[in-house]
Amino acid sequence: MNLRGGWALIKGTWMSWLQQRSFFFLLAFGWMIPPLIMLFIWYTAASTQAIDGLTQNDFVTYYLLFILVNQLTYSQTNWTVGDAIRNGDMNLILLRPIPPLFYTVASEVAGKVVYMTFVIPVVVVLALIFHPALHPSLYQILAFLLALMFAWLLRFFWGYWLALLAFWATQANALLGIQDALIFLLAGQVAPVALLPGPLGVLAQLLPFRYMISFPIEILLGHLNTSQILTGFAGQIGWLCTTLIIFTGIWRNGVRHYTAVGG
Amino acid sequence: MPEPKITVRNLSKTYRVPEREEGLMASIGSLWRRKYRDVEAVKNISFSIEAGEMVGFLGPNGAGKTTTLKMLAGLLYPTAGEVRVAGFVPWQRKPDYLRRISMVLGNKSQMLWDIPPRDSFRITAEIYRVPRIELNKTLDELFDLLDMQAILAKPVRNLSLGERMKCELVAALLYRPQVLFLDEPTLGLDISMQRRLRQFIAEYNQRTGAAVILTSHYMADVEALCPRVIMIHHGQLLYDGTLHLLANQFAPYKLLRVTINDDSQIDTLPLSGGVALVAHEESSWTLHVPQAEVPAFAAHILNTLPVLDIAIEDPAIETVIDTIYSEGIVGGVQ
Repeated sequence: MNLRGGWALIKGTWMSWLQQRSFFFLLAFGWMIPPLIMLFIWYTAASTQAIDGLTQNDFVTYYLLFILVNQLTYSQTNWTVGDAIRNGDMNLILLRPIPPLFYTVASEVAGKVVYMTFVIPVVVVLALIFHPALHPSLYQILAFLLALMFAWLLRFFWGYWLALLAFWATQANALLGIQDALIFLLAGQVAPVALLPGPLGVLAQLLPFRYMISFPIEILLGHLNTSQILTGFAGQIGWLCTTLIIFTGIWRNGVRHYTAVGG
Repeated sequence: MPEPKITVRNLSKTYRVPEREEGLMASIGSLWRRKYRDVEAVKNISFSIEAGEMVGFLGPNGAGKTTTLKMLAGLLYPTAGEVRVAGFVPWQRKPDYLRRISMVLGNKSQMLWDIPPRDSFRITAEIYRVPRIELNKTLDELFDLLDMQAILAKPVRNLSLGERMKCELVAALLYRPQVLFLDEPTLGLDISMQRRLRQFIAEYNQRTGAAVILTSHYMADVEALCPRVIMIHHGQLLYDGTLHLLANQFAPYKLLRVTINDDSQIDTLPLSGGVALVAHEESSWTLHVPQAEVPAFAAHILNTLPVLDIAIEDPAIETVIDTIYSEGIVGGVQ
């Protein structure tokens, strides 16, 4: 492990990105808009009476948390992996004496910090306006943090293996677009997963997307009992392991393919 | 005797490329049934390079130079053959191997564009685990050699092409690689910048004893830097030796320029036995003369014509190379 090199890469990405803060703030702003719109829709819908037991205040709390968790788990690097493969930058990465994954993780970690300097103040301002109510126990906070970490890993590696299909197909980024659509639908963005009608609700429980954003929020809000939390973790970890296996297989074969046909 | 830095034995690379007929129907058909064609990019090449050697890699576009370089660097694995570089099999890309080599691609940047070069260098040094004291010393040396103190604080994207190329070289050399692959390092640079970089590469080679392989379409690069050239054409090794002998082998003639007093007498020139007229300007004439004929032919002219001036020159290396590329003369190659 070349941790020294990895840390240097993180610092380098920070330095690069801080040169163009405003661009990344705009990106972060763009990612906040859809959940904000959903917040206002549900806020208005719940103005006269609670929906499935969720009050206006519940929706505000839910969506403000959604914005945070969505930002923290969003893997913008998934979009750049395909580019690096297509334009030959992968050559330079493969020639460095450091695992190529370090490059992606470095820009991922650096990105989180830059985005958070923008997202946290915005969420705080919104919280001051709407007064969301949130009273988690210590146990819920710890479970939330664990689920959040798994959520990020799952979303990161899931998007990564999709992006790596660029080793074979030039338009693999289209799959990331589909992934974003599925996340919009099934990860709790269009509506909290509990409100999804019959088959969609079942699909959300089975597919990996709920575990990328919604699951940690449900824990923190206290919507889940202990057995539901444990089942949730089982689903999350199960999908994470599956994803890591797929990722490893695709990475190995992809690099083999790449070094057989040339970049 | 120590093992050569680079050993290449019977190296071959065949690409499988998808192929289809023109038109929409064909492209729909290719969705489920693809035809492939095998393209032999490199055919059975062997050579070896010692530490401290600088070798020019010549060949027209598409000859197999870059494919060979990529196999040596570890970015491609071959269809057949063996390669050892600095004691490693390149395409296993072990970190210990990657720390010993460096590849500069004239059309690809390894700098971070938004930050000043100095920061980029520090990051590269960390990745290669260069001790800090050693790094400072190396950087000072390189900055002096390339005279680049003034550009160190500007973001890379604001540098000119020449300035950026200096940075690429520093980034490639700051961990003191033992083997250096330079693919068109002077691409697009002006004459004095080319000369500058050439001097620098020569100096690095002398100082560190690194083995250097250079590809360039600027013959001046190769003439100035590489006592030895390897020429590849149609994927095959065409020539391995000095640049001078290359000219002799493939263009065994001299250029004879003669200026005479009386134009009308030029008709008496004996244009036979391989002598050919190649250019004529006012009263000056340029002839191709086979090497063996040169002394006799020159003597004949001096005796029979009112000569004002006479010069005997080697053909320009560009001309020789062009002849080889375009006519593909030569034993063993179709």
